[in-house]
Amino acid sequence: MFSPEAIIQLIHVSKSYDRRAALSDVTLEIAKGEFVLLMGASGAGKSTLLRLLIGEERPDQGQIFVHGRNVGRLKQAEVPYLRRKIGTVFQDFRLLPNKTVFENVSLPLIVQRASMADIRRKVIEALRAVGVEHKKDQPPNSLSAGERQRVCIARAIVNGPVVLLADEPTGNLDPERTAEIIELFKLINARGTTVVVATHDPHVMTLANRRALTLMQGTVVQGPG
Amino acid sequence: MRWFWYLVREAYTNLRTNRMTTVVAIVTTAFTLACVGIFVLSYVNLRNAANWLQEDIKIIIYLDDTMSRDEVQTLQERLKTDRLVAALRYISKEEALGEFRAQFPTDFHLLEGLGDNPLPASFVVTPAPDFRSPEAVARWAERVGSIAGVAKIDYNQEWIDALAAVIRYLELTAIGIGAILSAAAVTIIGNTIRLALFARREEVEILQLVGATSAFIRIPYLLEGAVLGGGGSALALGMLKMGFEVFRHQIGSVGRFHGVDELVSFFPLSVSAAFIAVGMGLGVVGSMISLLRVGERRR
Repeated sequence: MFSPEAIIQLIHVSKSYDRRAALSDVTLEIAKGEFVLLMGASGAGKSTLLRLLIGEERPDQGQIFVHGRNVGRLKQAEVPYLRRKIGTVFQDFRLLPNKTVFENVSLPLIVQRASMADIRRKVIEALRAVGVEHKKDQPPNSLSAGERQRVCIARAIVNGPVVLLADEPTGNLDPERTAEIIELFKLINARGTTVVVATHDPHVMTLANRRALTLMQGTVVQGPG
Repeated sequence: MRWFWYLVREAYTNLRTNRMTTVVAIVTTAFTLACVGIFVLSYVNLRNAANWLQEDIKIIIYLDDTMSRDEVQTLQERLKTDRLVAALRYISKEEALGEFRAQFPTDFHLLEGLGDNPLPASFVVTPAPDFRSPEAVARWAERVGSIAGVAKIDYNQEWIDALAAVIRYLELTAIGIGAILSAAAVTIIGNTIRLALFARREEVEILQLVGATSAFIRIPYLLEGAVLGGGGSALALGMLKMGFEVFRHQIGSVGRFHGVDELVSFFPLSVSAAFIAVGMGLGVVGSMISLLRVGERRR
């Protein structure tokens, strides 16, 4: 039923908070190297789905596989190692204001105890890839929203993740910056990283022009594609 | 090694950023641990004093007049090989009389009316340091008392018991007060770390998202706890040392306590180091309690 090429699989997944269903019997599959849009209004279950994928939550029912690992059954100590394979991008950037751009982007490498030479090389590469290398010594607060999102993306790709998850990555950006960020995701995807972008914005769907899965009240109404 | 310096720098940054909280935590911990230190210092000095006093404990074995010279010799050999006996002195009837005459020259006539020398020969035993407890002395006295030719065994049981009771009481008080105040120190440091965690919850979330293990996230806070505990105990030690020197100077200047100032002593270097290590340990425990829930997965 499921393709061996799938890098993300959800099989009859349900998740509730205080008896309110956030996801109901969701089954979907995303192939390795695919660029998928997760569409849906606020409260449709997009963020819940992303949280389940990174092991921040456990499903009440069903199974979730990411890169061959059964996420729901991972021990707590194994979750960090899953997250090292997944890059995450958020609407609110989640950058540390008291650190420079370089230091923010180097965090995923530091936690993996990379050598200083590796950190320098990979961080510069990632910053160059997203076009903010010249801002490396500045604090994030001195950057524009678009630049901050680029830094956030650099942090997400710096250790070469197999999957990039983005939760409303363009929510704080104007249409021009939105188009730039989507182009950036396409570039990252073209280099082989599976990209999943959760958004409520139909404009993003138009810009991306890729397969879209629509969630409505916790169920997939379009797809699994 | 960058990751290691990152952890150390994080701990340092946190301490520096929350300077006021850090200072308050160290000072409060210092006062708390200084209270423990006062008890420990008093206990150590009283224990030393008790040891000096216990060194003076003597057990006197009075012998039957009927014992022959050979029997006395045999008993002496037996006592010499006894583990409890550190030193042994034989006092013959004649020596006893001589000592009595020397100690009570005006009362010597009391013995003249009794005819023959009424004072018995005896052994004066100094117990070995490991056997100076009241229980050990009592057991030994009972055993030796049953030997043929031993008329009576004399030692100051009440005094030994009272001394042991005081030491036990001090020990229990020191342990009780120490436990309560240590718990207070743990709580103070734990709350400081909890505040730091709250202030940096976003950073903790980000570290979790980028794949940091719980240990990686916790280490800076454990280091911070160790610094707070170590700093607090070092400051407490400084306060104690100052207080101790003032006390020694004051007591040395009071005539009736002259010489006591030479007998009291501060913690030796090893105990001071242990005191700081314990403070650091309490800090780490406080941090660990605050960090229990960090890294827990939501359900």
